[in-house]
Amino acid sequence: MASDSPPANIHDGPSSPDEWPTSPISNTLSTPGGARRPKRGRRSSYATPPPVQSDSRFGTPDASQTPSSSDPQRRGRARRWSGTPNAAAATPSYTDDAPPSSEAGDGDDDEAPPMYVWGTNISVQDVNAAILRFLRHFRENPQQIEGKYMRAINHVIEMEGDSLDVDAHDVFDYDSDLYTKMVKYPLEVLAIFDIVLMDMVSRINPLFEKHIQARIFHLKSSTSMRNLNPSDVERMVSLKGMIIRCSSIIPEIREAVFRCLVCGYYSDPVVVDRGRINEPTVCGKQECLSRNSMTLVHNRCRFADKQVVRLQETPDEIPDGGTPHTVSLLMHDKLVDVGRPGDRVEVTGIYRAMSVRIGQTQRTVKSIFKTYIDCLHIKKADKSRMHVHDMMETENGASRSSDESTLDDEDQVERLKELSRQPDIYERLTRSLAPNIWELDDVKKGLLCQLFGGNALKLQSGASFRGDINILLVGDPGTSKSQLLQYIHKLSPRGIYTSGRGSSAVGLTAYVAKDPETGETVLESGALVLSDRGICCIDEFDKMSDNARSMLHEVMEQQTVSIAKAGIIASLNARTSVLACANPIGSRYNPRLSVIDNIHLPPTLLSRFDLIYLILDKADEQTDRRLAKHIVALHFEDPDSSQQDVIDLPTLTAYVSYARKHIHPQLSDEAAEELTRGYVELRRRGNFPGSSKKVITATPRQIESLIRLSEALARIRFSELVEKQDVVEAFRLLEVAMQQSATDHATGTIDMDLITTGVSASERMRRENLVSNTRNIIMEKMQIGGPSTRLLELLDELKKQSPASEIHLNDLRNALATLSSEGFVVVHGDSVKRV
Amino acid sequence: MVGLPYDCLANPLGAVRLTFEKAVASGSEPALLDGKDWGAADLFRQFLFDDGGLSQVPFLKPSSITWVQPNTLVRFRGMIQDMLGNEYYVGAYKDGDTWRTNKFADASRCPMDDSSDMRIWERRLLYCVPVPGQSSWVEPSNEAMKNPYANSIALQREKRQREDHTPMADVDMAEPDHAQEDSPSSKKMREDGAALQQVTLQKSASEGKSSNSDLVGDVERNSFPCLVKIYDAPESDLKLNDVFEFVGIFTFDPDLTLDRDDTDDFCEDALVSLPPSKVPRLHCILHRKLVVNDFLPSPQLELTPCAIKEVREALLGHLASVLGNDRVAAQYLLLHLLSRVHARIDSIAVGKLSLNLTCFNKESMSVFGNHLKLAMENLLPFTQCLPLTVDYLNSVSLIPKKDYSTNRLVSGFLQLAEGSHLTIDETPIQTGTLNSMGCENARVLKNMMESQKVEYDFTYYKVEMDADVQLLVLSEGKSNILPADLVLPFRPSSVSSILGVDGEMLKAWRWYFAAMKTLPHSIEPHMQKVVEDDLVAARQADRSLGSQEFSRWLTMGRLMSVSFGETCLSMEHWQMVKELERLRKERLQGNL
Repeated sequence: MASDSPPANIHDGPSSPDEWPTSPISNTLSTPGGARRPKRGRRSSYATPPPVQSDSRFGTPDASQTPSSSDPQRRGRARRWSGTPNAAAATPSYTDDAPPSSEAGDGDDDEAPPMYVWGTNISVQDVNAAILRFLRHFRENPQQIEGKYMRAINHVIEMEGDSLDVDAHDVFDYDSDLYTKMVKYPLEVLAIFDIVLMDMVSRINPLFEKHIQARIFHLKSSTSMRNLNPSDVERMVSLKGMIIRCSSIIPEIREAVFRCLVCGYYSDPVVVDRGRINEPTVCGKQECLSRNSMTLVHNRCRFADKQVVRLQETPDEIPDGGTPHTVSLLMHDKLVDVGRPGDRVEVTGIYRAMSVRIGQTQRTVKSIFKTYIDCLHIKKADKSRMHVHDMMETENGASRSSDESTLDDEDQVERLKELSRQPDIYERLTRSLAPNIWELDDVKKGLLCQLFGGNALKLQSGASFRGDINILLVGDPGTSKSQLLQYIHKLSPRGIYTSGRGSSAVGLTAYVAKDPETGETVLESGALVLSDRGICCIDEFDKMSDNARSMLHEVMEQQTVSIAKAGIIASLNARTSVLACANPIGSRYNPRLSVIDNIHLPPTLLSRFDLIYLILDKADEQTDRRLAKHIVALHFEDPDSSQQDVIDLPTLTAYVSYARKHIHPQLSDEAAEELTRGYVELRRRGNFPGSSKKVITATPRQIESLIRLSEALARIRFSELVEKQDVVEAFRLLEVAMQQSATDHATGTIDMDLITTGVSASERMRRENLVSNTRNIIMEKMQIGGPSTRLLELLDELKKQSPASEIHLNDLRNALATLSSEGFVVVHGDSVKRV
Repeated sequence: MVGLPYDCLANPLGAVRLTFEKAVASGSEPALLDGKDWGAADLFRQFLFDDGGLSQVPFLKPSSITWVQPNTLVRFRGMIQDMLGNEYYVGAYKDGDTWRTNKFADASRCPMDDSSDMRIWERRLLYCVPVPGQSSWVEPSNEAMKNPYANSIALQREKRQREDHTPMADVDMAEPDHAQEDSPSSKKMREDGAALQQVTLQKSASEGKSSNSDLVGDVERNSFPCLVKIYDAPESDLKLNDVFEFVGIFTFDPDLTLDRDDTDDFCEDALVSLPPSKVPRLHCILHRKLVVNDFLPSPQLELTPCAIKEVREALLGHLASVLGNDRVAAQYLLLHLLSRVHARIDSIAVGKLSLNLTCFNKESMSVFGNHLKLAMENLLPFTQCLPLTVDYLNSVSLIPKKDYSTNRLVSGFLQLAEGSHLTIDETPIQTGTLNSMGCENARVLKNMMESQKVEYDFTYYKVEMDADVQLLVLSEGKSNILPADLVLPFRPSSVSSILGVDGEMLKAWRWYFAAMKTLPHSIEPHMQKVVEDDLVAARQADRSLGSQEFSRWLTMGRLMSVSFGETCLSMEHWQMVKELERLRKERLQGNL
């Protein structure tokens, strides 16, 4: 056989496969002879178990005739070197601490001429030895006694599994040369990999009959679907995408058994050869030998599962004005049905091209190829837009988890850190946030804090404190609240944008739906649950139905959504920050009314917002001019020139997600002290000396907010320590927000009661005064059981007594209601009677 | 054409081959030619543009499909409706000792051996359709008819047609192209390949089914799609919904129509639903993006301010007469028709100016609505009209949607080319309930009005595509579903009978729109100051004015000066805008 002797010209330089830039496809094509080799050759020369699972996972789809399909080639090649004793595997000559160098296989060269993968300078023995070394000796840390993969192999044997997951990063760390070969010539290297595995397994447990396949995952670089090109064919690639279609499971024949209709003789299993079963034309029994008598016996054939899955690009990879690309995946055996449509996955596999046959009968092939990926490994990715992982949970298990987003590119991290070291980073970030919305700097700062978020805290007792900051924007129409919201939505690591008017309670939280196919009840997550660990933006908060709003109570403090309906009782995490914006009642903000009266939100809900900003449209020529300038610039200037020194959106997103993932600031002693001092100070402001009036200027909720804000501020600087300056800034932010929303217009002081109860302290005082005044008048003018008095008369009387204060009929009614509840008077319509 | 060893028109593949051989001979490694041009495109560029060959290239359209020969040079104008991804093909292969290429061809001419050395290259597949709402005057006339080459192939064609005349009785033989088929200069097809095609074509025709003529039978005049295969162009060049002219090789390979009986899932691919017998293939050699100017007949008018003013006046008069002598409405309509999105800053589309004419009722709609529609069609290249009813909103999906079972983007009504004009007639709408689809459609329309973006539905997610569509809403009262930038009560004073418009005038107007729309625009610093002062004063006087109003005024100011052919905002035009807005405000108040 010509192919048995390796081409002479590739004897030099066995370690640089790059010298051979020719595509592997053409190489395989010109392999003469190898293609026709019977399939079983690969294993039969081995002292390994019979080929129960011998054929490879790369079953060629049946439209083959494929010049590029190297399935047969692979077998043929395997045959070529399988004839020689697997020297490296069999040589126990090197010890455990042998360096991973190419010398390891040296001793074997004497025994057998080196074998090469056809058309390359990859020596089969070298690869074989390298793999063996890797499997034996790779350890994640030097303390481990047994290698990672030795343990894994033992585990597989125990579990009677049929595959071994191999992290490509491990391969790279151990032997980058092997990694390069594996990525470039996956078919060949994986075949060797499988053989080495078989060999190892059979030595550990000679009775273990299953064939173990190596499943490689987590390649160093992941390709974008768009960038796949012909040079990637026959290479190992890793792709991210979304599954859009799964075919039904196709039973693919692997071995066929025929029976003679004449004598009943069963043939030996016939193995698929290039997607085709060669039906024997003559009965195999010597006595019979009848022609064309063989028939397929279905239930003695062996089938394997196959599934075709289509993968589509995720929206973030689609360029402007393009449509998403798709690629077909071929799944075998265990991988079948791993992903479902809608899943985001990362797959590792071999990119293959298959020529299209024109007709069943024609031998010529069209010059067009269909491409697909032979899947080796599939991993479901987080559904989030960006990878914000549950770092809080996995913080301590610092193992390199399989999730590593592109964010971890060292360069980028370095750039982000560089950025964070700039002294004016806080200001710069503020400027970069919605740069086309002018002014509103404090609001933007608040939003920035929300993006970064504080630390969630879980006490051992089970009590937990949220780290998410909730913000409410109240303001006049046309003050670009919605634009701010949209911008934050775009920027936030994940999140949902809803409009209050169009949201129902179930749409926000979760609902139970009947699966149309199976009839099972399934839990569908609503907006709040979907934006877990993100920001849920709710526009037109005021127009939301009360029912829907009441659902928010639980979410905003407990951060869970509880559901009990249709047989499903569940509590779902909804660790989301809420960013809501609302229009005041009567469309324009009435400065004479309190926030509560202006937006008509229940105080219970309002108090759950850390920051409440009033965005008012003040009749100020200065701002008008700025607006005019801004709009003129928008229309007439080159949009690029006006926005320099602004961090672009992708960088900003990366910055935010990096900070959220990696920075977990702790309060410094100094900061804690400042916090206490400031809080006490804030409380004290409510006590006016010499006055009985007690105004609550801060509540424990505020101190929690303050902690969250200062943590977020430290995060912005990528600092692990909350410093005093953060606390001071947090106080300032809170005060700015409170000044706007919780100011009692009657007195001009901050009054948290406004938020917590909806009634300011001064208002309460006024009401109490009115009640006592009314009581006095009634005591004076009316006798017990005497004739009743009309309300208006009372009102006149009151006005006479205190001409300075304005008293409305309604106020009087309220006061009388209080009195009647005391049993002091009886109110009948318009008449009052003392009892 | 005589001096050349090949004929770019009749045998473009020959030219491709020749340049390829030349390139290989001059030492280029065939393997490295992937994604590169080896001189073929230059050759065609020279032939088409420098030597004026473009006008001889026939257009691929329903009327010409019957006689255009496979493997000849054709051109196709259309909008990219869908992108079908990349296709890998054998780009170069070794036939014996010589390299051959398959570029710009469906299948290789010589049967390839499995063992032969080959290189896989890739090309992009684009599914193109005629631009939606294309006005009839945009349709290119087939000038190619007059050149001798066309006659020669027509002759051959005729021969064939005679042979199989009987089975093809359904084909309209009265096509004008066949009337003049008597040129004696019958050129022999030199290419064996082409001859081979001829034979197969005849064979399939004699089987009672001429695939070429099938194209006409099945495809309506307005949905004449074409599958364009793009080579070597950077991805960013061609975007969805762009209007392009593709010059390339028309291929037709009856072999490919064979039905696939193996039900392999890999074939569940877009191409299966697009058999070559229904959709012609075009291997694109050169492509260029079309602007409105390209649709106009070539001798263009001279740009003098005086001429522009004249044209503008006449046009305004025409619009006014269409609108029943409502000059104000005509002014606004003119500005509206000149608008385009010229910048996008964050979510704001700067430059759009949608117009809502109110006070239409059933009667006035039937008169003016039709006049308007006709006028739009005459003036603009791409116009669409959408009568809005509850039933319609509830039953049809306006946005394009990806159909995963065929792997195609199913076009929706709102998949429109850049610069299209869309008239939405809201008068037929009755009270009724919108279902979820109706709500979605209303939301999409609103979104398009506000931000000039359309969400395309990819089932698992939506992708927002930028649109640039002029939206005109006709309604009884102010439309709440479709919040337009401008609301103007319509006040016709007379019903004019439709004026016969002079063809020359129409041409001038079309040219006016095409030329004025693309004018650049700027503002002088002193004018900027004036405008700012005006805005501030207006806002001080009326607090309800916001950025939207200001934006609108500035857009109008820009369009006003553009309508005079000027590139800089002048005081005079700014005053005109303010005056117009005053008139409009009066009308709005009078209407309350």
